[in-house]
Amino acid sequence: MNTPQLRNLSRRNFLVSSSALVVGSYAYTTGFNPAFANTTRTLSPSVYVAVGSDGIVTVTCHRSEMGQGIKTAVAQVVCDELEADWEQVVVAQAEGDAKYGDQNTDGSRSIKNFFVPLRNAGAAAREMLIQAAAESWGVAASECEAHDHAVHHKASSRSASFGELADAASVLDVPETPTLKSRENWNHIGKSRVHVDAKDVATGNATYGADVTLPNMAVAIMVHAPVLGSSPIDVKVPESAKNDLRFIGVETINATPGPIGFNPVGSVAVIAEDTYTGIKIADELEISWSDSPNQSFDSEVFQEKLREAVEQPGQVWHAVGDANSMLDGAEETIEAVYETPFLSHAPMEPPSAIAKVVEDSVEVLAPVQDPQTTRNTIVGAQSFALENVKVTPTLLGGAFGRKSKPDFVLEAVELSKRLKRPVRVQWRRENDLQYDYFHAPSVQRYEASLGENGMPIAWRQRTAFPSIMSTVAAPNMVEPANWELDMGFTNTPYRCDNQSIEAAGLKAGVRIGWLRSVCNIFHAFGANVFIDELAEQAGMDPIDYRLAMWDGMDVIQGALPSEPGHEFKIERLRNVLQKVRVNSGWDQKIADGRALGVAVHHSFLSYVATVLEVDASDPNYRVTNAHVVLDCGTYVNADTCVAQMEGAVVFGLSGAQRAKLTFKDGAIQQNNFDGYLIARMPDGPSISVELVDSDHLPAGVGEPGVPPVAPALSNAIYRAGGGRRRSLPLV
Amino acid sequence: MAITMNVNGVEHSLDVDDNTPLLWVLRDHLGLSGTKFGCGRGLCGACTVQIDGSPTRSCLTTVAAASGRMISTIESLVEQQPDLVDAWVEENVAQCGYCQSGQLMSAAALLATNAAPTDEDIDSAMAGNICRCGTYGRIRKAIHRTAEGRQ
Ligand code: FES
Ligand code: FES
Repeated sequence: MNTPQLRNLSRRNFLVSSSALVVGSYAYTTGFNPAFANTTRTLSPSVYVAVGSDGIVTVTCHRSEMGQGIKTAVAQVVCDELEADWEQVVVAQAEGDAKYGDQNTDGSRSIKNFFVPLRNAGAAAREMLIQAAAESWGVAASECEAHDHAVHHKASSRSASFGELADAASVLDVPETPTLKSRENWNHIGKSRVHVDAKDVATGNATYGADVTLPNMAVAIMVHAPVLGSSPIDVKVPESAKNDLRFIGVETINATPGPIGFNPVGSVAVIAEDTYTGIKIADELEISWSDSPNQSFDSEVFQEKLREAVEQPGQVWHAVGDANSMLDGAEETIEAVYETPFLSHAPMEPPSAIAKVVEDSVEVLAPVQDPQTTRNTIVGAQSFALENVKVTPTLLGGAFGRKSKPDFVLEAVELSKRLKRPVRVQWRRENDLQYDYFHAPSVQRYEASLGENGMPIAWRQRTAFPSIMSTVAAPNMVEPANWELDMGFTNTPYRCDNQSIEAAGLKAGVRIGWLRSVCNIFHAFGANVFIDELAEQAGMDPIDYRLAMWDGMDVIQGALPSEPGHEFKIERLRNVLQKVRVNSGWDQKIADGRALGVAVHHSFLSYVATVLEVDASDPNYRVTNAHVVLDCGTYVNADTCVAQMEGAVVFGLSGAQRAKLTFKDGAIQQNNFDGYLIARMPDGPSISVELVDSDHLPAGVGEPGVPPVAPALSNAIYRAGGGRRRSLPLV
Repeated sequence: MAITMNVNGVEHSLDVDDNTPLLWVLRDHLGLSGTKFGCGRGLCGACTVQIDGSPTRSCLTTVAAASGRMISTIESLVEQQPDLVDAWVEENVAQCGYCQSGQLMSAAALLATNAAPTDEDIDSAMAGNICRCGTYGRIRKAIHRTAEGRQ
């Protein structure tokens, strides 16, 4: 691949001169889920772009960078409208501030929500530069145009660079409704660009949470309670530590009563001058912990309860016709139960945060997905005024939803306050797996009866899982929320005239959170495997069967109203499925010993179809090839979309093949990568990706690639002769 | 006890606990934060450096064991194998990037001993380096690209 590269100059000591042209824009955003997105759903002015008199364009990225390439994409959008030269653009990371609009980098919606505001910012800056040039030349602005980082007046062959014009432009009014470029004139949007941090990453110069060192900073190594809800009662520090000059002390943090939310859990922090001293002493502490109601939590027992739940009628979310009596009276029905386990985000960078409390203010540097929620959470937990809390995201060494939850930041703030010096909290992998906000386990039960033509005439589907709401909102909110169910369940594209869609929730004894793709992971699994089972029963090809089910269908309505312009269109789902059919050679003769499996899913307003090819001779059914087709509407960085689909296949395979977490006596039984098995290089198939050329509104990219992976693998294993596998992990 | 070692061509003399893992000496004492902490147990490869040219997990290597040896870290790679760094950028390998120092140091060691690695060679040399973002396909491509460029 050869794509233009943008040097990331952000570490150069670049100052925007006071007369720099700064363009404000307006950001209107909606929450990821209406129930607890608590931060900034307001109309507010924000600042995304500045042009310096040295000609350097600074684009401020207010979303967190965790590998999804958002810094690059934001720059592409602004740069395009501005007609700036890619080589003269630097990207700065914004701190948490409501003036930027929503910063909750979650739910695959940075481009979806900010495409227009960012274009407006770039276009407004362009119009101001043109206006400044026109005024200085005494010509009409309409006779001038911007391109290549300069404004040109063709009639008189005059040009002025953006740098030359910045001062004059900076005193002009910001146009409220600048004219946006038309699609055919885009020169950055839709193209491939290497990520702005690529060179820094490849030279070890990229800065993540643990890479910042402040003067006089102490390191805190955390020992967390084995069971959620326990607090330390007694701590014995080893004798050897007492003579260690690099050991500072231990601090205890009690479990917060009430809703779990983002509060710190019970822990003992070992404070030291350096990381290893902290680790060494942490491993030798003897700690007794208080009892917790969660100490009887057992994931096997919990799974059994979920199984029982789907044998009973649940809360009915959708009912048409008379599915229940038809199924109960049918001579033959097809029934299947699908199960998925607890999973962990396990980003490669374990949580880490730096806090510096000075009297009544605090500065935080940490890999957080939402610096505003982090600020608000600090304000809620401590007695700081919001304006005295500054939170700046570093790069995130992976996040996948984990770093939306700032519990680890609160630890750093609390410890810095007590120690009166800057503190870096460093979690180890063991802490990370033990105190994740876990991906919920689930059980789904599907039942259908088929008519003469093999198509369903009655259909009942039930899902049971612990709701995220029971962790982040209130413990008594156990029923799955509408937005969780609209992740592949209540908005299922598999419809029938007699249909019942039911759900049940149970509270777990551990924290539940959102992991990349959230409930879509298990719902896409159940639905896509069940459809393959029905196709087999009907004696039809799995792709043909799906297409037949969608015959004559137009729009799918879930539990929540669709966002305007983002209706779930069957036509687009059909299109990605038909494309992947061609790309994967589905109807061709397959190489001996190979088998293909398919799945297709709509999530985060995008459409993805995936075909996996497995090696049938391998007892573990190694995936040899993957074909993915993505329709995410208008996209910004083509190569990033491809990379996200590639990464999603591997991420999906981790969960599909081997990853599983279990709990006994309230404690996790896996503590590192020897117990929690992540896909490695030999597991990574060759992956081809097609992006659908589309002028629909931009939709999600980071998450929608994951859900089809596990069902496509299960379906491929079946076709390879490995039997119907209805429970994750599959091998 | 004072320990001496050569890191990226510079001699260092350090007064640290013998059992301190090299990872934390690099990061905390020498300010070389390019080498990353991922698991602390030799399971993920994020901390990979080269000791006398061999890819080594610095989280499991004590500073005493590294004493007197030649250590190279990601910070020196751009001088040692600039074409490998370039290939990583050109293939746009990194997503979050956190695992990539370790990936690059393993890849550099592979290429130093195997001028034209096959996919199988890459799979076995790189199996100890986890990438949670799933950049394996691009890592393969960047290694092949570098090898081809050297032919
Ligand atoms: S940190 Fe050394 S192998 Fe994971
Ligand atoms: S690029 Fe994120 S872990 Fe490899």
